[in-house]
Amino acid sequence: MAQSLVKEFTKGLWAEIPLFRLVLGLCPALAVTKTCENGIGMGMATTFVLLFSNILVSMLRNIIPSKVRIACYIVIIATFVTIVEFVMQAYTYELFLKLGIFIPLIVVNCVVLGRAEAFAGKNTVMLSAADGLGMGIGFTLALSSLGAVRELIGAGTLTVWGGTPLFTIGHGYIPFQFMVEAPGAFVGLGMMLCLMNLIGKK
Amino acid sequence: MGDLFVLAISCIFINNILLAQFLGNCPFLGTSKKMETAVGMAMAVIFVLVMAGMITWIVDLYLLKALNVEFLRTVSFILVIASLVQFVEMFLKKSIPGLYAGLGIFLPLITTNCAVMGVCLINIKEEYTFIQALVSSFAYAVGFGLALILFAGVRERVILARVPKALQDTSIGLITAGMIALVFTVFRGMV
Amino acid sequence: MREMLSMIVVLTVLTAVSGGLLAAVKVKTEPRIEEQVLKFQKAPAIKAIFADATNDPIKERFNVKAEDTELQVFPSTLADGIKAVAFEAKGTGFGGPIGLMVGVNLDTDEIIAVRVTTHAETPGIGSRAKEDLSFVGQFAGMSMASNFGTKGQGGDIDAMSGATVTSVGVSQAAVAAQNLYKKLKPEIVKQMN
Repeated sequence: MAQSLVKEFTKGLWAEIPLFRLVLGLCPALAVTKTCENGIGMGMATTFVLLFSNILVSMLRNIIPSKVRIACYIVIIATFVTIVEFVMQAYTYELFLKLGIFIPLIVVNCVVLGRAEAFAGKNTVMLSAADGLGMGIGFTLALSSLGAVRELIGAGTLTVWGGTPLFTIGHGYIPFQFMVEAPGAFVGLGMMLCLMNLIGKK
Repeated sequence: MGDLFVLAISCIFINNILLAQFLGNCPFLGTSKKMETAVGMAMAVIFVLVMAGMITWIVDLYLLKALNVEFLRTVSFILVIASLVQFVEMFLKKSIPGLYAGLGIFLPLITTNCAVMGVCLINIKEEYTFIQALVSSFAYAVGFGLALILFAGVRERVILARVPKALQDTSIGLITAGMIALVFTVFRGMV
Repeated sequence: MREMLSMIVVLTVLTAVSGGLLAAVKVKTEPRIEEQVLKFQKAPAIKAIFADATNDPIKERFNVKAEDTELQVFPSTLADGIKAVAFEAKGTGFGGPIGLMVGVNLDTDEIIAVRVTTHAETPGIGSRAKEDLSFVGQFAGMSMASNFGTKGQGGDIDAMSGATVTSVGVSQAAVAAQNLYKKLKPEIVKQMN
């Protein structure tokens, strides 16, 4: 039991890391990763939704009629998304402003609905929780690393939390602004996928 | 009238939903490997987005704002979109089988296409009037189709090119998309 | 039939529970959210605009209403006895809405200062509107009757180089502030006395 729990948890961190392995959840990944902090915030919000929607879907899996299961999953997910919206507004307001429309859009993030349908609807509560947490943390890792790369190259800073840069490249560095703009998001993610492929080959 | 035209141009080119706003990128990469599927997806999005844009606008004004329950916006919009997609699917299957054959397989995918939900939310956030919301929904959808079809055209060529192994498939797809996004930034100063 | 019934029951119950839960969370977080909006968006801007305020504009805030427009205003008495108000107006920038806090001298209708409250502009480019004060500094001392368009649009405001869309967004917000002020000034003066 404990072993399979660990297995479900760790698969989201590397073997099936969303965004890099299963190319899902692209929209928030491209849109909010102008800074590392945004990536972490978005990742945490998604993790919260993933974890709780997975738990609830799994708890209700024998009650929900299969024909309306997608609609039920959507209601459950949307509820947690709205809770996250409220909580973020109340406690991490600045971050909420930066992430803007992408918080309500967690609802249509294929990673979340995908896990509900592919995993939580068929497995026990404990396993689903482990799966949700693992996938969420994996997604957070992916978003924050993409954010870190883009921010470092594009703005010459690294912001982890609280809006003030943790680290700034010296004054001689001229930021390659392309990376924090829209096209840089695509290219940055493309290069990171390439890197993952290279590592994966060994 | 002129304002609506400007709005439409800015929604199609400057704030292109895929390349500038980053909404709807999963189907963008998923259905762009072949021109045929790209066209099908583009049509399905235009069809559903215009309807969803109108219905959610009405729901927001006459249901959510009237009852003072704006906090249910996310839940109700996604339900509206999901049931709309289901309804359109059933309707097309019975009444216009020809169109259904073309769009059918793309329709279920649209529920989780954040372009649809995103535009509905943008319409509300920007406080558009009904006509503006209608124009923006249509224009954003056209922008989606335009970018998708352009991208599919390029991608069909990329398949023939010799791409390094690690860069193949999605990776080169994303970099290509980045180049197209770069082209679209040229439109920025237009309005 | 039984299947149909269970489908309807499950969906209805689920939606009802969700609605109830969200209403509860909303009630719980509402005061805290309002506090946060004031603290993070409005308070820093107001403090910068009324650097020599003799009162607490945030504490004394009130709402004014005329026709169907409602506005939250922050009254202040400055060190030299001048009565002033600050309020927020919105424009659309490159990444979304831009909020602009505008402080106006009530006697002369001149702008004391403006500050950007919220924005989602690109870091290092549009975000300069908030950090680099040479752009918003242009507004200080201008009359509320000036043309707040950018020079490219025939107005008096110099756009930030490389961030035209953001500059236009800020100028839009200033024009919105102008309209609000025109509409609501009588009401503001009435409530201040």
